[in-house]
Amino acid sequence: MTTVRERTRPGRGAVTTGPRPGRDPRKNIRPWLLLAPALLVMGGLLLYPLLRVAVISLQDFGLRELVSGRTDWVGFDNYAELLGDGQLWRTALPNTVVFAVATVALTVVLGTLVALLLVRLGPVARGVVTTAIMVAWAIPAVTGTYVWVFLFTPGDGLAIQALDALGLVDAATANPFTDRLSFFAVAALNVVHHGFPFVALTVLAGLLTVPQEITEAATVDGANAWRRFWSVTFPMLRPVFAVVTVLSTIWDFKVFTQIYLMPGGDGVTRSVLNLGTWSYVESFAQNRYGLGAAIAVLLTALLLVITVGYLRLLFREDEL
Amino acid sequence: MWSKPGSRGLRRAAVALVAASALAVAGCGSSPDTGGAASGEGRTLTVWIMEGTNPDARPFFDEVTTAFRNQTGASLDVQFLPWASAHDRFVTSIAGGTTPDVAEVGTTWTGEFGEAGALADLAPRVQQAGLGNGLVDGLVEAGTVGNALYGMPWYAGVRSIVYRTDVFAELGLKPPTTWDELVQVGQAIKAAKPDMVPFPIAGDNEYGVYPFVWGAGGEIATQNGTTWTSALESPQARQGIKFYSELSTVHGLSTPAAATWKETDLRDSFAQGQSAMIISGSWTPKAILEAAPELQGKIGAFPIPGPTGGISPSFLGGSHLSIFEGSANQDLAWQLVQMMSTGEFAQKWGTESSFFPGTTELLNQAAASSDPLVAPFAQQMVDAGRSVPVTPLYGQVQGKKTISTMMSSILTGAATVDQATSTAAAEMNQIFAGGA
Repeated sequence: MTTVRERTRPGRGAVTTGPRPGRDPRKNIRPWLLLAPALLVMGGLLLYPLLRVAVISLQDFGLRELVSGRTDWVGFDNYAELLGDGQLWRTALPNTVVFAVATVALTVVLGTLVALLLVRLGPVARGVVTTAIMVAWAIPAVTGTYVWVFLFTPGDGLAIQALDALGLVDAATANPFTDRLSFFAVAALNVVHHGFPFVALTVLAGLLTVPQEITEAATVDGANAWRRFWSVTFPMLRPVFAVVTVLSTIWDFKVFTQIYLMPGGDGVTRSVLNLGTWSYVESFAQNRYGLGAAIAVLLTALLLVITVGYLRLLFREDEL
Repeated sequence: MWSKPGSRGLRRAAVALVAASALAVAGCGSSPDTGGAASGEGRTLTVWIMEGTNPDARPFFDEVTTAFRNQTGASLDVQFLPWASAHDRFVTSIAGGTTPDVAEVGTTWTGEFGEAGALADLAPRVQQAGLGNGLVDGLVEAGTVGNALYGMPWYAGVRSIVYRTDVFAELGLKPPTTWDELVQVGQAIKAAKPDMVPFPIAGDNEYGVYPFVWGAGGEIATQNGTTWTSALESPQARQGIKFYSELSTVHGLSTPAAATWKETDLRDSFAQGQSAMIISGSWTPKAILEAAPELQGKIGAFPIPGPTGGISPSFLGGSHLSIFEGSANQDLAWQLVQMMSTGEFAQKWGTESSFFPGTTELLNQAAASSDPLVAPFAQQMVDAGRSVPVTPLYGQVQGKKTISTMMSSILTGAATVDQATSTAAAEMNQIFAGGA
């Protein structure tokens, strides 16, 4: 995220110095030397697996290939099978995209609202609220998922009982995990609950940098809170919103744990498969690593396209 | 991960070197291992055992370790794996060249790993040791691919029905012996104990479905030469699945929550006193009593009844002891396998874990037991133990959770029995047709 901010800040105008005069080749090398350890680690831990997945997606790769080390190239067969599979278009892709769009929107909106609340609070109250939301953030995804599943346990789950008391569901017959919509509603609660603290704290940090005078001037001009937010705060914090939106999108697109651990999410209820769980099931339950890798590549490509799209949208006027 | 190709090459070279030197030593006139011949001085065997089978596994393996050191001089490094993640652990260890020497392998995985070339063929060793005829058939069948035996039968178990004797006594009920009686008993419990779930039907529990398919005279899949075809669409199989699911959808003996339950959820609900009868493995009552000591003396078991009497067959599952192809100490490993799967240790393991031993002699001893929590299971196993289709492709069907998906879609009303069985059969046939 720092790269985005560093890259965008000089571009925003005032203090741009232009190309540095008299470039020294040694100075050119120095930053790379400093970056080398990080690049090596990233290359080993991120780039190599990424390439390996892409390579495996072009092979018929099963347990036998894994043991023997043989390779069986099949070209784009895995992709052809994937794109020709109704499950992709009817289930996995819609589940992934719609779920991500909904959860990203909810996460960013809720996070921003909490940040706007925090910035108005006194130091003590802010500390208390910050601690409270940090707890939600600190809970591991596995633990959080089990807690939400526990709350929605059919029959005697706390949330089910509450909904029953409100007359919305019948606790004796309702099983929220068997229906696609209610399954993802519970999953969305879990994911948003786990994701909004990051947005809230990042936006809060941004809000604290907005000079008070500008907001006051807007108030004097008669702008209401809604107008102030969209005309003053949001434009100034655009890079911050870019970062939280892009990161939330990446996380919510490739959501796996929170789905896989829910009852029926491990492949039993086919209507709730998403790209992440489908890739896992094909790879590790079917030993079809080639097809699983192809799904993973598709997911990555999708994410890249969306991320680039976002960045263009957010920075079009300024620098792209 | 990123050094995998290199390390695999290295490992292969190392294995070849060790194998060559072992051959050289063997050539120097030592007799082929006949059991005794302590040759393991200073060596260590890595052993992977599944967690939870035997609640007291650690003291058991302390004894095995001592006995094995006395016999061979080698020591053991026993590691415990949870069942749920074991398949992944095996696969990643195969990929990374970090397989153990000996491992407990679930019977439905043995063929899969064996066919992939990860396990050593034990058939010659079993023959040489004269054990060929004394092993439980179902377990040998499950470990055999072609002529190779990739796992030594270690223990086995079956599922029957575990019930609350106190509830039955209070209501004057007797264990059902036909399917009609099963419904009647369930309805009697439902009427008298509205807070209890008479007989929960778990959606994600394929081993609860099979007895009713087999009991109705159906099959999961049939073999024709080397090809398999799903038989779930046969009238018999459909009738069995219909009866089983209607216990929930028509007779209301289950709960809607159970549509997404796994086998462990059945056990938990029984231990919490919520259920009156559950389909349960012979190994489960012990765990139930540990979780709920107040149920002591209130639990019984009966074999899964047939439609009009007799016993519905139940899946005979268990574990093999396998030796990995990558082990440099295969002779030593075989001595350990033999020690654990025959004689005193096999019997002790069976008693402690409530499973049945993998040799016919020991199994017959166990079947003669009068323990009310052992005898019904033994009867089920000896008289009506069955295997799922013995092909690595069936492991893929199980990995895809085809049967669980079918059951849960019927239980939630998303599909009728006819629709769900057709979908499941199509998926199964697709996998049989070529692993797609």
